[in-house]
Amino acid sequence: MIFRSIRWRLQLWYGLVFLALLAGFGLTAYALLRNDQLRHLDEEFLRRMGPVSNSLRPLRGGPGPDGPRMGRGGRRGDRGDRGGRGGDFPNGGPPEEGMFPGPGEPGFQFHLPSEQAAMFGSESNSFYYVVWARDGKELARSVAAPPEVPRPEDTRAPQGPPEWRMRGVFREFWHPTPGGEMVLVGRSIAEDLAGLRLLAWELAGAGGVVLLLGLTGGWWVATRAIRPIEDISATAVKIAAGDLSQRISAADTDNELGRLAAVLNSTFARLEASFAQQRQFTSDAAHELRTPITVMLTQTQTALNRERGAAEYRATVEACQRAAQRMRKLMESLLELARLDAGQETLQRVPFDLSKTVNECVELVTPLAEARGLRIHCAAPALPCAGDPERMGQVITNLLGNAIEYSQECGEVRISGERQSGTVKLSVSNSGPGIAVEDLPRIFERFYRVDKARSGSGGHTGLGLAISKAIVEAHGGSLEAASRPGEGATFTVRLPEGG
Amino acid sequence: MRILIVEDEPDLLRSLAQALQEEGYAVDTAAEGETGLFNAQNYDYDAVVLDVMLPKVDGWEILRRLRKTKKTPVLMLTARDQPKDRVRGLDTGADDYVVKPFDLAELFARLRALIRRSAGRTSNVLTAGDVVIDTGARQVLRGGREVALTAREYALVEYLALHQGEVVTRTTLYEHLFDENESTLSNLLDVHVSNIRKKLGADFIITRRGHGYCVGGGA
Repeated sequence: MIFRSIRWRLQLWYGLVFLALLAGFGLTAYALLRNDQLRHLDEEFLRRMGPVSNSLRPLRGGPGPDGPRMGRGGRRGDRGDRGGRGGDFPNGGPPEEGMFPGPGEPGFQFHLPSEQAAMFGSESNSFYYVVWARDGKELARSVAAPPEVPRPEDTRAPQGPPEWRMRGVFREFWHPTPGGEMVLVGRSIAEDLAGLRLLAWELAGAGGVVLLLGLTGGWWVATRAIRPIEDISATAVKIAAGDLSQRISAADTDNELGRLAAVLNSTFARLEASFAQQRQFTSDAAHELRTPITVMLTQTQTALNRERGAAEYRATVEACQRAAQRMRKLMESLLELARLDAGQETLQRVPFDLSKTVNECVELVTPLAEARGLRIHCAAPALPCAGDPERMGQVITNLLGNAIEYSQECGEVRISGERQSGTVKLSVSNSGPGIAVEDLPRIFERFYRVDKARSGSGGHTGLGLAISKAIVEAHGGSLEAASRPGEGATFTVRLPEGG
Repeated sequence: MRILIVEDEPDLLRSLAQALQEEGYAVDTAAEGETGLFNAQNYDYDAVVLDVMLPKVDGWEILRRLRKTKKTPVLMLTARDQPKDRVRGLDTGADDYVVKPFDLAELFARLRALIRRSAGRTSNVLTAGDVVIDTGARQVLRGGREVALTAREYALVEYLALHQGEVVTRTTLYEHLFDENESTLSNLLDVHVSNIRKKLGADFIITRRGHGYCVGGGA
């Protein structure tokens, strides 16, 4: 579904918000304009209302059934003696109290001065007025008045502003006089309404165009915003497919996505390095197995080529045994490393004196040292530690063994321990040729050998230092090497003091 | 055929040497690079089996230095089976490349092919007159019938047949048929030649007095 796509969702939400904003703005603008226009219109109505109301005059000499009645358009003859007073009343607003006779007084006559009558045209869309007498009869109406104008229901007091009503397209203002007559001014506002409708359509059209432009812009912005994500996703897909060398190309690293890309890139790099290390380790392990297997194969194949004497068979079996022992040693080392890696190696956690372990180990390797004409100097005061004495013994034996093997003939190996502010420090150093600068950072790597050739007779797996480091680190300590070529090497174990 | 094996794993070196000797080769051994290089530079071996990972001087270095003076066929033995390692080996001048662990039979076949190619031959079967030598089966037929030869006799016949038409000096024959540990009695070669003539015909090996021996010789 396209709505699963962030871009489409962004676009959808953006479009909805934009539409709501545009609609709100359009409707408000329309309402304001409409009100404004109607207010102007209403002012026109009220401006015309005053003169019409003022044109009502009580009949002098009392009313009678035969009294003079206003005809349509009024009696022009009266204009002269009353027209002057019509000007005294301000336009708009109801006439003041007391100016008209009260209810029950004699009737009215209607006379609109000609300059005011000009405000009411004769066309169908011009203003018109209708005046009703108290009894509901029409007193007067202008030429443009539509034929049927019902008299508004007079339900209110003559005070207050005029009422208005809409009758179809006719907008009519009406106002009862204190005398009970009804004055109505109206006009067809069909054209005004049509104009407003047109305005509404124009607003809607403009809104539509703006919405379209906005959506196009939004699409462009969304596309631009999504592009880094698509880059990231494409790279991640390639990496998932197995190409770990892929990286996200982040041109702008300062924004959120750039930072995300940087984080992902560094993650990918670590992943790749870890995979490469794993591959290297597996390949090294396989490589280590190749030689003993080759020995066994050639030995057995040679032996089986023809009949042999017992001594030859014995030699073959012995060679196979040596190869098998070597494989067993390698396998055990690999398993030990794997367990240490996984944190599954069960280390004891007991308080012990490291110096005792040191002395035991020194005793163990002394024959080896003597065979090479080496002397071991041991200076270890009490070193309280917590951990696995057997494992630490393994580490010390390994370090001493290396020190002896890589020492010059008739040199010396020193092992010394001391306590330093909560730490137990144990150093093993020799007087050998030391470790080359390029080898030093790599000696703890698995299967890394300073001497590139395997030394089959030495029985080294190339894992000893890696295992020692793993054991020391499992104890919460550290194992470091320092060396200057020609001046021997020093391995330092640091463990937290304990017990 | 005389072969040098350079290999630092003692058990492997011993069994390889034994197996090759039993195949009728004269075998010299070296347990580390320096000796290996010295031997390879100072003797005309028919082939060198060279391990890559060696103490002191490694296989690559031996090969590089050897190629400055000698065209001896070299078969590299290695535990590295990555294509880039093979490419590197072949580009450095190795003639073949065998990955450990290998089958002895395959190693022998590759050595035979190496020696054959270096002598300019393409087939395992050599023919000289009515004598046919199948180097793969190490079999000699005369007129369609198998002739039983000792290992040393076979080696002599094979070497001369590989270099048909050439006069091979006695020194060369000694160098290629006996390893460094054998006492090279001067008449040992004559005994072998005489025995071969009995089995394959008096004119199979022609003696060029003062020069050496010859097989075929365009005859």
